[in-house]
Amino acid sequence: MNTMLEENLNAPAETVVGPSVKIQGDLNSEGNIKIEGQVTGKVKTSQSVFVIPGAKITADVLAGNAMIGGEIQGNLKISGHLVLQSSARITGDISCTVLRVEDGAIFSGKCAMAGNGAANGKKGSVEKDLEIEPE
Amino acid sequence: MYYYILDQNGLPVDKFEKLQTELQGLLAEFKIAGETARVTPLRSVQDLVDTASQRGAKTLVACGSDDTFNLMLAALKGRDFTLGFIPFDSESTLAKILGINNVFTGVKTIAGRRIEKIDLAKIAGNYFISFLEFGVMSHNIKKTGTWQSLKLLSSDAKSFSIRVDNSYTLNISGLGGLVANIRSTSSQAEKIANPTDGNLDLLILERMGKLRTLAHRHHIAEGLLEKVPNTSVIKCKKIDFLEPRGLPLTMLGRVVAKFPASVEIIPQRLRMIVGRNRTF
Repeated sequence: MNTMLEENLNAPAETVVGPSVKIQGDLNSEGNIKIEGQVTGKVKTSQSVFVIPGAKITADVLAGNAMIGGEIQGNLKISGHLVLQSSARITGDISCTVLRVEDGAIFSGKCAMAGNGAANGKKGSVEKDLEIEPE
Repeated sequence: MYYYILDQNGLPVDKFEKLQTELQGLLAEFKIAGETARVTPLRSVQDLVDTASQRGAKTLVACGSDDTFNLMLAALKGRDFTLGFIPFDSESTLAKILGINNVFTGVKTIAGRRIEKIDLAKIAGNYFISFLEFGVMSHNIKKTGTWQSLKLLSSDAKSFSIRVDNSYTLNISGLGGLVANIRSTSSQAEKIANPTDGNLDLLILERMGKLRTLAHRHHIAEGLLEKVPNTSVIKCKKIDFLEPRGLPLTMLGRVVAKFPASVEIIPQRLRMIVGRNRTF
């Protein structure tokens, strides 16, 4: 899945926020979102969000999958896979089904993970809390 | 009833007369002859659309350039027609989009009456189906030589302020951009400029270094800004252009509005006669 996310990163996203762009307000999309600039407001999509190194989001992110290489000051609510790249800087809580944290990523907040049962809407789901201290 | 609006629009008289004769013959041959009216200095496209409406015409066909069709769209003012296009200009972008090569295929397409419902975009009381440009425009890049276009693309970036879908404001330092509903490269498989997806695509070009400018000049000239690195691409239904005030928004080089202006999409609003080889 992570490989698929990485492949998608190079594919044309439906919404691309360029490096010199500053957005104020809620960014909603039905497709993949690639953020290279700054967003001050909620980012929401049912598909994937890619936050490129150097990009900054100051608000919550709600998405299907996410690959984070930039800075986020807000909560991440991801229904699928979340990848924190080595350049990621997260200040906020995260929730996801599958999490991958690369060496060097900084995460300060709570992490709630739902097992496969929860992802499929079955009974007996497992919920874990994880806290990673910043380096 | 078919109503054909013939527009010379810069064509030499002899060439226009020849095309007109060819058109009349083909309309009779394909049994789709209707009323034919020619645009003159005293009868504008707007006047002819009004006349067509009064006469009860159901199908309006613009015969001329892309500009003729755009003027016809602007003159509709919400009135319900099925629209067609017959190109008199071999460089017509709209003809490529609709899958029409010349007068013969244009008439054949009208006779075939393959009708598609497509999205219609609205700006300042005018309508368009193709695209608008602002700032450094592909239309200018295409028309100028390499050095002149490089000079245009090396000009200072402007600070744009644009409100999208009444949801967020986008501030960007860029050279220019376009708002696309359809392009000559559009297709149903394409995510950008798909005329049946109910969305507009806003593409904004950032300033680049000389090498990158040179490498991507042809993409900019074709309006394929998404292929240029760092270009912002936003899919939306409504765009409010706020700053810089007074900056023109153009359609094929013709100014249709100035900042501040609002553009919005009306999904599946237009009934358009299209060719088999259309791009969408």
